[in-house]
Formats: sequence, structure tokens, C-alpha cells
Amino acid sequence: MSDATVTGVPDASPARRDIGIKKRYAAERRFKAYGITAIAIGILFLIALLWSVFSKGYTAFWQTEIHVPITFSEQVLGTPQQAAESQTKLMMANYPQLAREGLVQLLGIDPDDKAAVSAASALISSGVRVQLRDIVLNDLSVIGQTQDVWLFGSSELDSALKGQYDLTVPENRRPISDLQLQYIDKLKSMGALEQRFNWGLFTFGASSRAETAGVGVAIIGSLYMMLIVLALALPIGVAASIYLEEFAPKNKFTDLIEVNINNLAAVPSIVFGLLGLAVFINWFGLPRSAALVGGLVLTLMTLPTIIIATRAALRAVPPSIRWAALGLGASKTQTVFQHVLPLAAPGILTGTIIGLAQALGETAPLLLIGMVAFVADYPASPMDPATALPVQIYMWANEAERAFVERTSGAIIILLGFLALMNLTAIFLRRRFERRW
Amino acid sequence: MQMENIQATLNKGPAVQAAKPTKMRSENVTVHYGAKQALNGINLDVPERQVTALIGPSGCGKSTYLRCLNRMNDTIDGCKVGGKITLDNEDIYDPSIDVVELRARVGMVFQKPNPFPKSIFENVAYGPKIHGLARNKNELDEIVHRSLERAGLLKEVKDRLDEPGTGLSGGQQQRLCIARAIAVSPEVILMDEPCSALDPIATATVEELIDELRENFTIVIVTHSMQQAARVSQVTAMFHLGDLAEVGPTEKMFSNPDDKRTQDYITGRFG
Ligand SMILES: Nc1ncnc2c1ncn2[C@@H]1O[C@H](COP(=O)(O)OP(=O)(O)OP(=O)(O)O)[C@@H](O)[C@H]1O
Ligand SMILES: [Mg+2]
Repeated sequence: MSDATVTGVPDASPARRDIGIKKRYAAERRFKAYGITAIAIGILFLIALLWSVFSKGYTAFWQTEIHVPITFSEQVLGTPQQAAESQTKLMMANYPQLAREGLVQLLGIDPDDKAAVSAASALISSGVRVQLRDIVLNDLSVIGQTQDVWLFGSSELDSALKGQYDLTVPENRRPISDLQLQYIDKLKSMGALEQRFNWGLFTFGASSRAETAGVGVAIIGSLYMMLIVLALALPIGVAASIYLEEFAPKNKFTDLIEVNINNLAAVPSIVFGLLGLAVFINWFGLPRSAALVGGLVLTLMTLPTIIIATRAALRAVPPSIRWAALGLGASKTQTVFQHVLPLAAPGILTGTIIGLAQALGETAPLLLIGMVAFVADYPASPMDPATALPVQIYMWANEAERAFVERTSGAIIILLGFLALMNLTAIFLRRRFERRW
Repeated sequence: MQMENIQATLNKGPAVQAAKPTKMRSENVTVHYGAKQALNGINLDVPERQVTALIGPSGCGKSTYLRCLNRMNDTIDGCKVGGKITLDNEDIYDPSIDVVELRARVGMVFQKPNPFPKSIFENVAYGPKIHGLARNKNELDEIVHRSLERAGLLKEVKDRLDEPGTGLSGGQQQRLCIARAIAVSPEVILMDEPCSALDPIATATVEELIDELRENFTIVIVTHSMQQAARVSQVTAMFHLGDLAEVGPTEKMFSNPDDKRTQDYITGRFG
């Protein structure tokens, strides 16, 4: 048999035609080069972006603090008995005075030298009012005692220490005076000045003082919204996709729905904000600035993404699996829920997480429903005013102060961190649930 | 394909063809895919506990006809079935018939092995579970083991029932699919080219299996292999361009067909 074929081939095979092998290789190499160039440019931009954000923002994670012995004097705070009876006095007490006195004593400044005292006290953040009050309210027994406390430095001190000021310009043109610089050196030599990890960046709410401003409220607001989006968009989106893909008859009407869903995915997000403003706030009367409304708007925005991803995942399940189940006498519902859906799950989860990540970074629609608000207190429920991470970034980006510039980048790093976490989760889920068939 | 070859392979089982009652009867069955007609009025009796082979050139409607018998065509958009098909004299397209129940009585094995991406045990147990055939775990265990045994697979897999069914070889997968089909205790098993993805050895195993299953089940098998039809079937039906060209005892079909198209096809002149 094989002999026959070998001898069957004519010996004098015709000369090979030139079909341009060299050209083909050249085209292939060219194409590869284009691809590599494109990817290199992409990576370059990514590096530039990350570099600019990280180089500006990493300092935001450190905050200058001053180690000051504070005397919680009874003159200022009242006696512990008084405090136990009524907290009003404690709430209103002059805590900055305590801080000022502590620092003045530490630096050995004459308490009657007004200029020196005010220069020194400007190094302390006005956030000490809350900081010291919380210490006292936590433990009334400190009244009358002296305790070493790490006080927040003011944003000027912080910026000066981080080298963000040009110190060569004349004294009156910079936010920090020569006297203050002397104090800083003195504090440094005493070991009372330190850059400590800035937990406040994660826990504080809005503040006009950079050193006590944080993304705490924004993180909680974003978290509420993500939960709302997940709780609403995932079941609605998956149910709609299953119906459209597996049950709905294929006709003009379902075609129309399909086209519309695809178009919805391309609608600019600000339009969804307008819709949310008109429907949820003006019509349903839901509160402005509430995470609930933000969540609902983002749900609308995320739905098309989830529906499209889910339908693609359902369609990718080989039809032979459906036949196998149907052929065994499984009903349509059993087939879908026991066989098709589990196989589509990784795709659905990935789509959902990508949708959520999109929603997490969305700003424009939130501006329209009033989530650009100065919210200092944690929202206790999704009905309370809140902000969101990207909105907080937007608001800080509008602040002129040097300390807010680094905080803007710091908040961007936090946002990027959350996004990276979500994408990693998507990859992990995909690996975990992916099955061969 | 040589006539003598095929005759040599004919299944010389007990010549009982005439005695068997009809299990499924088709009267003037037509199928349309949209505007296109795929079957033009098929009249065919499937005898009980026999293997009926459907042969014919590609695209002549064998699979289409097979899918009519368990109403799998219902799941295809735009597919319309006309005429009448009965199972034990009951019209299976009657509105009072529940397709789920019908498919439990008329099982199907597909061309490409399609085990669920679950364990071997779960693959076989799925049918009995959804049809409530087992009252408890022990009964289910027994059904699974018996089905695997009958499909000739138990020996190979009994130590790894919890491994994925997709990890088996092609031939094993196909036998797993057969085990899965018989676990539901159907009356009729439809097989659409069950061996086309298998090597000769796996094919031989499956063919032996079919021959054994004939004792308890009515089998309808689509095949492109004349030898296979000759080896396993007692009745052969020849389809051609949506028509039933000829049907008769396999022996007669391969030795002395009445229809010119059958003759041409089995001697390899077209198809
Ligand atoms: N889902 C479908 N939609 C539209 N037309 C179909 C569909 N399935 C089959 N057909 C058409 O119906 C006719 C019969 O097809 P069928 O699959 O029954 O042929 P077959 O005899 O099984 O062929 P093969 O031996 O190649 O499997 C063919 O012309 C085919 O194009
Ligand atoms: Mg076919």
C-alpha cells in the first residue's frame, strides 16, 4: 500500500512555484513587530501613570506626629466628678489649649511670648481637639494626669518635613517661618517628631484640614454601593440573561430587547446619573447624597455589563451538555440550573466583578445625585449622606493645599488597590471554577 | 464496499424478526426546519427488543428522524414535526404526553460522547435522581453499579467513581453515556452514530454491548458503517433525501435489496 504511493509519485516533480515564502515570513515578522510596539507603548503609559500616582501619593500614607506630654488639667476639663455627671463641659473644653501648653513647655518657650507661642502652636493640627477629646472620653481617669501623646502635626509641618516647600524663598512668601523651622529642628533632635503610618487616611471622613481628612466615609459609601449593586444587579442580570438566552422565543421582540441592552451598555454614565436624579430622588423621594441612590444608579449602569457577560458565558456552554440533560428527561429548568449555570458560573462571576469594578470607579453619575458632599461622619445606613472613593478623589483634586495634592494621589492608590483586589478575585474565581469538558 | 464482506458479517441471530411486535410506529412523519423540508412522510415500524439500523447518505434525515422519536426536535428553533408517532400505541406528540416522561422512556446516546463535567457516579446517578427512581442512597448506588456493569464499564472505573467522567478515554466516555442512558431504565434507546468518534477496539466493545442490550431494550441506531449495521441490527432502514427508501430485515437488505438506491448505497456507489 505504502509502496504503491511512494512509487506512484512521479519522479520528475514539477519545479516548486514561488509562492512568496520570504514575503510571508516578512509579513509575519512585521505583524509581530507592530504587536510588540503596541504593547510596549501601552506598558509605557501604564508605568508613567503609576509612577506619577505613586511618586506623588506614597507620602500620604505617612503623617508627621509630635510626641508631647499632655497635662489633662482640671482647670480646663473640670473635675472627674463633674465630668461623670455631664459631658457637655468635656465636649466643649479647650483641648487645643492643652496641646499648646504641652508643646510650649516641651520646647521651653516663654508662655508670655505671644508670637513664639502662636508659631509653635501652628505646628499642631487643629484636629487635636477631636484627638484629645476622644482620649478623655474613652478614659475619664486621665483627668488631672500627664500623659505622652502623639499629636497630629499640622499640614504645614507635614509638608515642610516631606520637603514639599521651597525654603529658599523669602520667609513671608512661604507657609512656614524660620522660627518654626528652628522648633522643628529642636523637636527632631529631641526625638519628639516622627513620620508615622497614617491610619487616619483610611478612617477619617471629610475635613477641611488635610491632616485629619481621610477616605473612611468614602470607603464605607463605596462599600454600601457595591453591596447594593451586587445584591440587585447580579440576580436581576443573571435572571434576565437566563430567560433571554434559554427560554425566550427568538423573535423580533427579543431581538429588539437584545439590541437595546447592548446599546444601554454604551450609554454615557452621566445619563444614568440624570435618570437617577429624576426617578429616585425627585420622583421616589429618596434622600440626596445617599449611598442607596448611588447604588441604584450604579446598578442600572452595571446591569447591561452583567447581562452581556452572562449571556456570553451561557452561550459558551457546549450545547451537547444541554442535549445530554434533556435527553435524560431533565426539564428545561433542571437543565439550565443544574448543568448550564454551574458551567457558566466562572464567566458570570468574572463579568460581575468587572462590572462592579467599573461601578467602583464611576464618578459622573454620583456627582449628579449629590454625593459630592462634605460628609465627616460615618454613614450608619445606606440612607445617610455619604461619598464614594472616586468622588472623594475628585473633591480633593480641587483643593489647592499642598497636603491635599499628596492625599489625592494617596486616595487614587487606595482606589487602584481595591480595583486590583477585585480583578485578582475575578482571576482567582475563574481559575477555581474553570472546568474542562 | 464488497457485498460478500457485508454478508459475512451479518448478525446471524435467531431469525425471529417477524415475531416481534412493534414498539414505535411512525405514520407519515414530516419535519420542516423553517421553510426547508427535511423529512417527507416517513412510515416506519420499530420492532420491540430489536436493533433497528438507520442508514443512508449524509444529510438524508437520519438524525432528524431519530430526534423525532424522543421529541428532541422540540428543542430546535424553527423545527416543525408533522404526522404521527406512537410508543406502545400512544401518540407521543399528544398534548397530554409529558416530554420529560417520554424522554425517560426513550433515552438517547449522542454521536460525540457528552458526559457531564461531574464525577462518574454523578453522571450515571443524575437520571435516576431526577426521575425519583431510587428511594435512598443504597438503591442509587445499586442502580449506578448495575448500569455501569451493563455498559461494560464497571470493571474499569469501580475504584474511581468520584473522578470526573470527562477524564475517561473516548470509548469509556461513550460507554459512560450509555450507562447513563440505561440507568433511567428506558424502553427505547436511540443512538446517533455512537461509534463515529471511537477507535475499532472501542467500537467493538460498544457493538457487543448493543447486542447484549437488545435483550431488554429496543434500540434504534444511526450508522454510517455498513458493517456495523450488518453486525448489530436485525432491521435496517435506508433513508434517502428525506424519504424512507426501503426497510426490511437486515439480512435481506444487504443480500438482496429491492430498492435501487439501497443497492447503490451499500455497494458504495454513492453516499
Ligand atoms: N438544526 C437544523 N436546522 C436547519 N436544518 C437542519 C438542522 N438539522 C438538520 N438540518 C437539515 O436537515 C437535513 C437532514 O439532516 P440530518 O442531520 O437529519 O441528516 P443526517 O442523515 O443525520 O446526516 P449525517 O449522516 O451527516 O448525520 C439536512 O439537509 C440538514 O441540512
Ligand atoms: Mg446525523
